[in-house]
Amino acid sequence: MVGDRPKRRSDVSIREVEGDTVVLNRAAEQIHRLNSTASFIWHRCDGRRTVRDIADELTGTFDVEPEAANEAVVAALRQLDQLGLLDHTLG
Amino acid sequence: MLDRGIRVGCQEPHSQALVTAAYAPMRGDPGVTDLDYIVGRDGAQAAFFIQRAGREPLTAPDDGTFLARLDEDVAIELQKLRADLYFIHAAVLKRADAAVMLVAPSGGGKSTLCWALLHHGFRYLSDELGPVDLRTLDIHPFPRALALKKGPPASYPLPSKTVRTSRTLHVTAADIPGGTIRGPAPLSTVFFLTYDPDALAPSVRRLTAGEAAARLYANALNPLAHAGEGLDGAIRIATASRCFELTTAELASTCALLTATMERPL
Repeated sequence: MVGDRPKRRSDVSIREVEGDTVVLNRAAEQIHRLNSTASFIWHRCDGRRTVRDIADELTGTFDVEPEAANEAVVAALRQLDQLGLLDHTLG
Repeated sequence: MLDRGIRVGCQEPHSQALVTAAYAPMRGDPGVTDLDYIVGRDGAQAAFFIQRAGREPLTAPDDGTFLARLDEDVAIELQKLRADLYFIHAAVLKRADAAVMLVAPSGGGKSTLCWALLHHGFRYLSDELGPVDLRTLDIHPFPRALALKKGPPASYPLPSKTVRTSRTLHVTAADIPGGTIRGPAPLSTVFFLTYDPDALAPSVRRLTAGEAAARLYANALNPLAHAGEGLDGAIRIATASRCFELTTAELASTCALLTATMERPL
């Protein structure tokens, strides 16, 4: 998991709204609001960064321990995947 | 309606009475007719019919279905005729100089709360359609008769002239406390209603603009008629308004909480 390189979907519409990210997935007829942490993670899902890279960036940006950051990233990615917002299907 | 001319020709008294009960506040000289309906009842089967140029005739087995199908067709066609407006599925009221929208899915309690608030100094713009002008953020009235799916609590009794159909109870404009608003009003506050059967008291939670925008979009009727797939319109409304989630409970206390929230300083 930590070596996976998640990639966000490119066929969705995105708007930044006062710290949140609003994602419109027209294919699924769904709209989502990502809070600041989920936004931070989702924007880094570029298919190049690994899960570990994203967790490290989270640690460096927010006041959070590495283990907690890793857990938060994994949990968020699973949720984003379930919502159909990632191209890469997580294992 | 919404500065467009809609003519409904009724071929017999029952359908005329229903259409009048539902749409009387909007009656007037339409000038140019943008939509032209003929409605009535089929003599042999006693079913209602709705005819409009450009579409297959609709039929309805009973009065409630007849009004529901006419309402739906009018609402869809109005969205095409006024594609400049951003239509939200909402009840709309006015208090002082500001409009408030109550947003919820069908059956979510919009009309019942709307009916109750009309007894607490609010005035009526709509219980179904909230057409927003995205340039000014004014919301236009759509004062069709208030339609309840079931009777409200005894503390907010219905007037004796309420029109009862197989599906809904219609409170005509003449019986709406405070009457109806005829012109646009500036939108100030949006409440997204939720129902919790275990809630002992109502509660309110301020929403972020992002969360409100997502909820508004989900309740928008014609988002794709607008720029940015309609997202920008929802965001414009959400960022310019105060938006709350209101968990409803007993009606009077819900009205009190909503009123207090509206009066709360920014």
